[in-house]
Amino acid sequence: MGKLILLLLNLIVLYNIVAAVFEDQVGKFDWRQQYVGKVRFSHFDTHMQSSKKVLLATESNVFAAINTRTGDLFWRHVDKTGPEGNIDAVLHHGQDAVLVVGNGRVLRSWDISVGGLNWEIVLDSGSFRSACLVGQQGTVKHAAVLKKSVISLHYLSNGHQKWVENLPESETVNYQAVHSDGNGQVYALGVVSHSHIAVVAYSAEDGEIIKQVSVEAPWLSNIPASCAVVGQGMLTCVDSTTMSIYTLDLYQQLQMIQIPLQSLGLEVDPGFQPHLVSHQPHPARQPLSEFLLQLGPDHHLLLQLNNGQIVILRDFKPALLVSFATTGEKTVAAVMSPKNKTACGINLFSAESGRRLLDTTLIFTVDPNAGKPERLHVQAFLKKDDSVGYRVMVQSEDHALTFIQQPGRVMWTREEALSDVVTMEMVDLPLTGTQAELEGEFGKKADGLMSMVLKRLSSQLIMLQTWVAHLWKLFYDARKPRSQVKNDVSIENLSRDEFNLQKMMVMVTSSGKLFGIDSKTGSILWKHYLDNIPSNAAFNLMVQRTTAHFPHPPQCTLLIKDKDSGLAALHVFNPIFGRKSQVAPPALSQPILQSLLLPLMDQDYAKVLLLVDDQYKVSAFPSTKNVLQQLQETAASIFFYLVDSSQGRLSGYRLRTDLSTEQVWEVVIPVEVQNIVSVKGKRPNEHVHSQGRVMGDRSVLYKYLNPSLLAVVTESTDLHQERSFIGILLIDGVTGRIIHEAVQRKARGPVHVVHSENWVVYEYWSTKSRRNEFSVIELYEGMELYNSTVFSSLDRPHAPQVLQQSYIFPSSISTMEATLTEKGITSRHLLIGLPSGGILSLPKMFLDPRRPEIVSEQSREENLIPYAPELIIRTEWFINYNQTVSRVRGIYTAPSGLESTCLVVAYGLDIYQTRVYPSKQFDVLKDDYDYMLISSVLFALFFATMISKRLAEVKLLNRAWR
Amino acid sequence: MASPGGQGGAGALSTRGGSGVRRMKWTLELSLGNTRSRDRQSGQGDVVYPIGYSEKPVPDTSIQETDKNLVEKRCWDVALGPLKQIPMNLFIMYMSGNTISIFPIMMVCMMAWRPIQALMSMSATFKLLESSSQQWLQGLVYLIGNLLGAALAIYKCQSMGLLPTHSSDWLAFIEPPQRMEIMGGGMVL
Repeated sequence: MGKLILLLLNLIVLYNIVAAVFEDQVGKFDWRQQYVGKVRFSHFDTHMQSSKKVLLATESNVFAAINTRTGDLFWRHVDKTGPEGNIDAVLHHGQDAVLVVGNGRVLRSWDISVGGLNWEIVLDSGSFRSACLVGQQGTVKHAAVLKKSVISLHYLSNGHQKWVENLPESETVNYQAVHSDGNGQVYALGVVSHSHIAVVAYSAEDGEIIKQVSVEAPWLSNIPASCAVVGQGMLTCVDSTTMSIYTLDLYQQLQMIQIPLQSLGLEVDPGFQPHLVSHQPHPARQPLSEFLLQLGPDHHLLLQLNNGQIVILRDFKPALLVSFATTGEKTVAAVMSPKNKTACGINLFSAESGRRLLDTTLIFTVDPNAGKPERLHVQAFLKKDDSVGYRVMVQSEDHALTFIQQPGRVMWTREEALSDVVTMEMVDLPLTGTQAELEGEFGKKADGLMSMVLKRLSSQLIMLQTWVAHLWKLFYDARKPRSQVKNDVSIENLSRDEFNLQKMMVMVTSSGKLFGIDSKTGSILWKHYLDNIPSNAAFNLMVQRTTAHFPHPPQCTLLIKDKDSGLAALHVFNPIFGRKSQVAPPALSQPILQSLLLPLMDQDYAKVLLLVDDQYKVSAFPSTKNVLQQLQETAASIFFYLVDSSQGRLSGYRLRTDLSTEQVWEVVIPVEVQNIVSVKGKRPNEHVHSQGRVMGDRSVLYKYLNPSLLAVVTESTDLHQERSFIGILLIDGVTGRIIHEAVQRKARGPVHVVHSENWVVYEYWSTKSRRNEFSVIELYEGMELYNSTVFSSLDRPHAPQVLQQSYIFPSSISTMEATLTEKGITSRHLLIGLPSGGILSLPKMFLDPRRPEIVSEQSREENLIPYAPELIIRTEWFINYNQTVSRVRGIYTAPSGLESTCLVVAYGLDIYQTRVYPSKQFDVLKDDYDYMLISSVLFALFFATMISKRLAEVKLLNRAWR
Repeated sequence: MASPGGQGGAGALSTRGGSGVRRMKWTLELSLGNTRSRDRQSGQGDVVYPIGYSEKPVPDTSIQETDKNLVEKRCWDVALGPLKQIPMNLFIMYMSGNTISIFPIMMVCMMAWRPIQALMSMSATFKLLESSSQQWLQGLVYLIGNLLGAALAIYKCQSMGLLPTHSSDWLAFIEPPQRMEIMGGGMVL
């Protein structure tokens, strides 16, 4: 019966095409979060006292303004990825922010109040070194840009070049810094490594060289790292090898004065590179004569340079971070010092005297699941009584920004790590106590009467416990006023909803921070920071145990591999609560090549994870006796493949009973000709409901559903547009048999591939016709099934039929994924992330190699759309309407409990979550279903029947009397 | 229903009172033909028939040879009924066409249902034909006629494509094949 219903549904499904979202549904099922990335430069808008803006320029090439009260974005500008959009410097003055972008390629000025572009000019070529604002007589009108061999001055008002000068001896001197302090001169500072400093003073008026001096400095190699200009043009440097501070008067340039640190009673921590920080409150004025010196990881000093003499104003130890901030005429130094394990204290000190300011203590609680604080951004302001108040923005190792007000109230936190999600999984939420009880009772294999009784008793005990807890909570909440009873999602009241539409999104970010996000609201429910993550780590996230095995907790395993050393580590955790699991992961001493999650389960219902090391030996996790025994039994049917793209080698292995392996097949693709760019297998949780396609004459064309089929994409190394090509290979992963091979001549990557069911869709750039093209390959067994009960790659005598068709697509794409549903009845759509920020839901129906060129009776019967080379983007196919998702890097799809519904998460710089209904919502009543009307009509009819029955009785009686 | 208008009374009942008499809801007359109203209706005056007297003439019930033939004829009519319907059905079939819509479906249902119903009530039909001498032959003809009707309905279903005779009709019932090998792996991390 169920099958029949499914069949009927199937019929309904075939006739449907997705519809767009209605206006009142906006934001109902979807949410978007916008991020900026790891902060590189930050400037508080001090232009107005009441301003609530902080300007952030990030390593993701984003320039944004954030509301300091709420942490929301005012505006955001996303530049190109890679070095082309890299933000080299930010100069902030008044209403304008001048950015040097793309290694000195472009100079841009933004109006910070609305985020509009004032002007943009393209600079001369040459790699960027430094930039600064240039002021004269108290006003700032120019910006100086120092490049490898030229220095130029630009008007802030329109970006026009005032003058440009070649730097003298730029072949030998490495110019690294530019300085100006309002006296009409611009200093370019260069260094000849381990020899001397070159100082060139230009007139800000006409660019004429006023002075040019070189001073012996054999210890110096990098000016920005060890020098700063302090006070009245005193270039101050610190050197760790000679343990000295050097000062050089830029105005007179006589010679370097050496002040040994020992004479000040100071010592540099061994192995630490000392660092100087000076502060210039206004670009048209001289820097302060006070500066900060860092001598160790937690040792800072506030020093003053007074007539060539250095005075210690204050010694901060321990102090993790220090920072200057200016408001009005006052400059303060904020110092963060550790208090205990979980908290840090921040205090303000007067920069002039080093005195601690009263009532300026701020407590910063360090989240144990977050990284250590890394930078301090201080916003100082004058209170009504003329004392200095402040707020701080703490940037931590995990890229999080926390904005704190006195005395320690966290105003907002931004998890910028989420701007770089590497991989993610969606995990079902746990059932409530009662549901879990039922599942636990019937969802398992029976193993003996006694154990079943015990299991039942234990689960009923747990049920009782949750019920009592629930009652207690009800009682407790009832005493509180209604407004205080919170109804938002928290980790305690998480439970699966009726249709399993709400899930836990486990996201792994490149910074090594893991997040658990509620898919319905987008709120972060847990976070866990893994420290010591190498910068180029590869991550592999696997769900070993789902929530279906109550009372066993769900379990996720993250494989983290350091690409340099090859060594890997496992992090086992509970995906619902984010806690590290008690299960101890094995220590992996050998470099790991790949992991493989088997459908086998141990006695605790955890799927077995196989790890393949560089000796091609396999270790299992968990590796209990039970697992090893199961592995021995099934070893003969376990295969795995490895793809080494650097050597162009694809190889397949078979597991032996002693957990060693033997190579079964090998395919070598010559790396001189082509590179393997990606290998796509099928998703293990994919279900295909229909085993074939019904033809117009009502016969069946059976699909070739090989679960171990791999789509290997290669790109030619020769990128000349006449000779470049891309290749696609369909290989059976068990036997290594090449099922199909296609080469697209005059085509170039990047190639995006989706491999599912019996089809492969890929997208490439056609260099011949200069356009993006889609191509689809479908595999069919033919009119007869070879073996309808089992599929074995080892017993497949017939090659499948291959059909292919190509189409023109009007846009380039960033990523592509296919929808996925519970039973696979719903028709499939392709979700395409476009560089414009749209996510397109393209029905697979349009990518069908059976689309006929000439329409016949049979093709019409089959509902085939006649072939048209162009695929059209219809605006109603955008599932994210106007919610642009910047730089989509990946799309994740997960089935929900409803067959019609597929959950979609698009991640990149932003995160966007929504639901799609590829065949419309055939199994749910519509959102605007009129329950009132239907029920009132029902009731009315019911009463009408009752009344008319009575009336009929009376009438009958009366007639009988007649 | 214990209605007073029923015929269950021991005597004749009347709900219609005379013009001069006060109208009553009901009356029960225990003696027949005693009242004026009865008299008027019968219009026979004061004549009272004796018990057992019938006004109708009693028919002659002796069996004649011609009646026998009539029964035979009547029985053949019954037996040939389904066969006679076939041309009519063919015409309806032709007219209704092969599209699947509500009316052709209703026609087909009716066409299929009638012979099936007739076949199910075969025993009743046999009882009808009991008096005939050619009972078995007539029964056979009746059966064949109905079977032909049913076959015609099935043919109509077939031509409309309602019969699961193609492999595609069983496609939804094919279980996905079980996979024999477990395979995984990927690019070297």
